[in-house]
Amino acid sequence: MLGAAASWTLPVFLERTFFTLDAMAADAATQTVTGKDGTILVVLQMAGGNDGLNMVVPFADDAYYRSRPKLGIPADQILKLDSYAGLNPKLAGLKSLFDEGHLSVIQGVGYPNPNRSHFRSTEIWQTASDADRNENEGWLGKYFDNCCAGADPTVGVAIGDQMPQAFVARTPTGVTFSKPEQFRWVPSEKRNGPMSAEETFFRQLNGVTDDDAAPPAANDGGSIAAIPGSTKANQSAADFLQRTALDAQLSSDKILAIARKTKSNMPYPPGQLAASLSLIARMIAGGLPTRVYYASQGGFDTHAGQLGTHDRLMTELNAALSAFVADLKEQGNFDRVLLMTFSEFGRRVAENANGGTDHGAAAPMFVLGGAVKAGLFGKYPSLSDLDHGDLKFNTDFRSVYGTILDRWLKAPSELVLGHKFSSLPLIG
Amino acid sequence: MLNRAAFGGTPEEIEAARGKGLAKMVRELVDASATSPNPLAPAWAQPRNIRDIRMAIREEKNEPDGRKDKRREFRQMEGENILDLRRWWLSQMMVTPAPLMEKMTLFWHGHFATSVEKVQDGYWMWRQNDVLRRHALGNFATLTKEISRDPAMMIYLDLQQSRKEHPNENWARELMELFTVGIGHYSEEDIRESARAFTGYRVDMTTQQFRFAPRQADVGSKAFMGKTGNWSGDDIIDILMKQPACAQFLARKLWRFFAEDDPSAQIVDAVAARIREHNFEMRPVLSEIFSSKEFFSDAAMRTQIKSPVQYLIQTTKLLATDPPAAPVAQNAMRQMGQILFAPPNVKGWDGGKAWVSTSTLLFRYNFANYLINGDAMRPPADPSKPKGADLGFRRGPLLADIPRRDPIDVSKVIPQELRAKPAELVAHLSTRLFQAPAPDKEREAFLQYLKAREPDTGDVTMRGLLHLMMSTPQFQLA
Repeated sequence: MLGAAASWTLPVFLERTFFTLDAMAADAATQTVTGKDGTILVVLQMAGGNDGLNMVVPFADDAYYRSRPKLGIPADQILKLDSYAGLNPKLAGLKSLFDEGHLSVIQGVGYPNPNRSHFRSTEIWQTASDADRNENEGWLGKYFDNCCAGADPTVGVAIGDQMPQAFVARTPTGVTFSKPEQFRWVPSEKRNGPMSAEETFFRQLNGVTDDDAAPPAANDGGSIAAIPGSTKANQSAADFLQRTALDAQLSSDKILAIARKTKSNMPYPPGQLAASLSLIARMIAGGLPTRVYYASQGGFDTHAGQLGTHDRLMTELNAALSAFVADLKEQGNFDRVLLMTFSEFGRRVAENANGGTDHGAAAPMFVLGGAVKAGLFGKYPSLSDLDHGDLKFNTDFRSVYGTILDRWLKAPSELVLGHKFSSLPLIG
Repeated sequence: MLNRAAFGGTPEEIEAARGKGLAKMVRELVDASATSPNPLAPAWAQPRNIRDIRMAIREEKNEPDGRKDKRREFRQMEGENILDLRRWWLSQMMVTPAPLMEKMTLFWHGHFATSVEKVQDGYWMWRQNDVLRRHALGNFATLTKEISRDPAMMIYLDLQQSRKEHPNENWARELMELFTVGIGHYSEEDIRESARAFTGYRVDMTTQQFRFAPRQADVGSKAFMGKTGNWSGDDIIDILMKQPACAQFLARKLWRFFAEDDPSAQIVDAVAARIREHNFEMRPVLSEIFSSKEFFSDAAMRTQIKSPVQYLIQTTKLLATDPPAAPVAQNAMRQMGQILFAPPNVKGWDGGKAWVSTSTLLFRYNFANYLINGDAMRPPADPSKPKGADLGFRRGPLLADIPRRDPIDVSKVIPQELRAKPAELVAHLSTRLFQAPAPDKEREAFLQYLKAREPDTGDVTMRGLLHLMMSTPQFQLA
C-alpha cells in the first residue's frame, strides 16, 4: 500500500497503523461469510405504498370492480396466475418468470395493527419490529451484527446516497454508493505512479479507527442535556464518521476495480431502478463479497391520478427486473441470487374521488430467483371483510424475512428477528 | 456560534466576531432578522395564468402533427427557473446581513417540506419560500395557518383536490404527524374529522393564488381532539397548538436542528416550556436557546454533522471564495443528499447521521477539492462535473457553458507569515476548520504532509493541506 511513496520517514506509530490497516484488508478478503460464491439477497423497496390490488389483481371478485369503477383493470387484460388473481398487464416479463417457475407471489402480507403513516410503516418493515415497538437497528443490520461479524464492509451494499434503515447495525456495516467511478477520493494534485503525500496521509487520516484519538464522550459533564435516558447509547456522530470513512476507503478501491473490469453486455431500459440493478449485476459478476444488495424504486404514493402513474411504475419495474434476470442468467449467477420486493403498505380498496387511492394495509410481495419455488402463497385477503376499508393481512412479513434468513442466507432467523415466525415453502 | 446559528463566516467575519461577547452576538443575530427586509424576488417569479397555459398545452396534443413545442418550452422554462431559484437562495445565505433568518427559513423548509417534483412550478416554490422567510422568526401558529393556504403545499399534499363530499386526508394527516403534534398524539378519527375542516381551500389557477370556495367547504359539526364544534381549518390549527405535544414536537425539532441529534427529554421539556411561555413566538425562544448553557455544553458542541447546505455555504465562506456555478452547486447538493426545493418526502430531510454514507462522505471530500482547486486540478472523472444539469424534472434542459472555476486565493485564507511555520499553520487552520485544536493523530498527519512537501510552501502545497484537512471526519462536524 505504501510502496515507493514513503520517501519520507513515517513515525513508528503511523507505520504500525498502516500495517494494521493492511492486515484488516487482507483479513476481509479471506472472510468465509461472503457472497463471492454463496447466496445473495437483493432487496427492492417500492417506496410510497404500492397499490398491491392493481399489481396482483383479484379479477374474479366483483367487489374489486365495484370498489374501483375507474381504476379497476378489466379481467380480460389480466395475466392470470390462477382462477382468482393475476398480474397487472404491464408485468409480462414477470408472468413469464412465474411460468418458468422462478417467481413466487406472496399474497396479503402485512402485520398486526397496521400503521398508515409512510414513515412509521417503513420503519416497521425496515426494523422488523412490532407495530407498537420502536427499534432503531434494521433487520439486515441485525443480520450483519449476528452473522457477519468481522466481514468486509461490502457485505451489504445499498445503491443510492442514503443508507436504508434496514442496514442500521450496532457495528455499522455496509456501504452506500450510486456511481462506482465517483466512489473514490481524488487528491488535489493529479499524479501517476506513486501515491502523492496528500493521498498517503489521506489514507492515514481516514484509515484507522483509533480509540485513543476518539473525541471525549459527549456526556461526561453532567449538564442538563446529557442525562441518560436519551439514545446516547448509540454511537456518537464522530465515531460514526470515523467508521464510515474507514469503510469508504476500504471498499472504494475494490468497487472501482470491479466496475472497471466488469462490463455488462445486457441492455437495460432507462431509469433509476434499471441503473441500480445493472450496477448490482456488475458487482455480482465481479465477485464483490456482498451478501445483501439494496435498491429502491420510488413514486408509489398515488393519491390522485393513479392510472397513468401506476402503469408507468409497473412498466419500469417489469422492464428493469426482466433485464436483471436475463443478465444474471447470462452470467450463470441466477441460481445464487434471490430478489425480494416490499412496500410499506398497500392502498385502500376503494378508489378516492381524485382517481387515486389512499394509504392502505396488506399487499403482495414478490420473491424471485433461480432457486425460488414458483407459485401463489398465502391467501388473497377478502375484499368484503375489511379493516377501515383496507385489506387484512394473513401472512406476517417477518415470515418472509425469516424464511429468507433461514433457508437462503442460512442464518438463524430467531436470532435476527427475535422470534421464530412460521416458514413459507418459497425456496426449492 | 457563527457556524451553528448562521452559516459560518469568512476569515474577516470571524475576526470581527471575535471579542464581541455572546450577548451582543445573539442580539445582533436575532435583531438583524427583525429589521432586514425580505430580499428581492428573482425577476421571473411572477404569477401567471396557469389555466390558460395548461389549456394551450392540452390543445397542442390534439394537433395532427403531434408536436409538443409548448409543453417542452414550458418545462424548459420551469427547469431554468427552479435552477435559478436554488442559486438565488444559496446566494442569499452567502451574503445576507440576517443569516439567522435564512437559517430558520431553511429549518421551516425542512419542516413544511414541499417538493417542486410534484408542485412543478417555480413561482409557487418561490412564494412558499417567501412566506417561510416572512414568518421565519415569527409566530408558529400564524405560519402554520399561512402554510395551510400556501398553493405549493396545497398541491403537494392534495389539499387542492379536497372536496366537501370527499375530503382528502393527506394534508390533515401530515399536519398532525409531521407539522404539529407528532405521531401517537392523534387518532385516525381526528384525521377524518379535521380533513373536513380544510375543505373549500382552493388554488386559483388564473392567478396562482389561494382562494376560499365557501360552497366546497364543509361547515358542519366536527369532533376533533375531544372537542366538538363547527371547526374551520384555522380552528383546527389553534386546537393543535394547545396540545402539550405540539410544543414538545417543535422543541425537539428545533434543538435537533441547532444543537444536537439526540436531545434528552429534559432539554426538550425545557425548550417546550419556553415555547409555550412565549406563545409560539420564535424570536424570543431562539434568543434564549442561543444564550443557554446547554447550547454550549459538551453534548451539543461539535457533535452535529453539517447539513449539505451548511457544508457548502460554510466551506465557501471559510475559503473566502464564491459558491460554484448554479448547475454545479445543484448537482453537488443532489450528491450530498439535500436538494433545495426538492426534499425527499414530506418528512423533510432526516438529518444527523443520515447525511453521511460512504458515498456522500467521499463526495464531500472531493467537492472540497473542487471548491479549493477549481478546474485547475480537476481530473477528467471529477464527480462535480455535471453531465448536463439535472433539474429535478425528468426532462430538464441541458446546460453547457459552465464557467471555469479558478483555484482559491490562498493569501486570503492563510497568513503569509505562517506558511513556513508548520506547527502554527496547522494550529491556525485547525481552529478555523474544526473550531478546536486537531487531535494528536490528525495534527501529526498534517505536519507530516507539510514535511513531505518541504521545502515547498507554495500555493499548491497550501491548497493540498486545506484539502487534506477537509478530507477528515472532523471537518464534517459543526
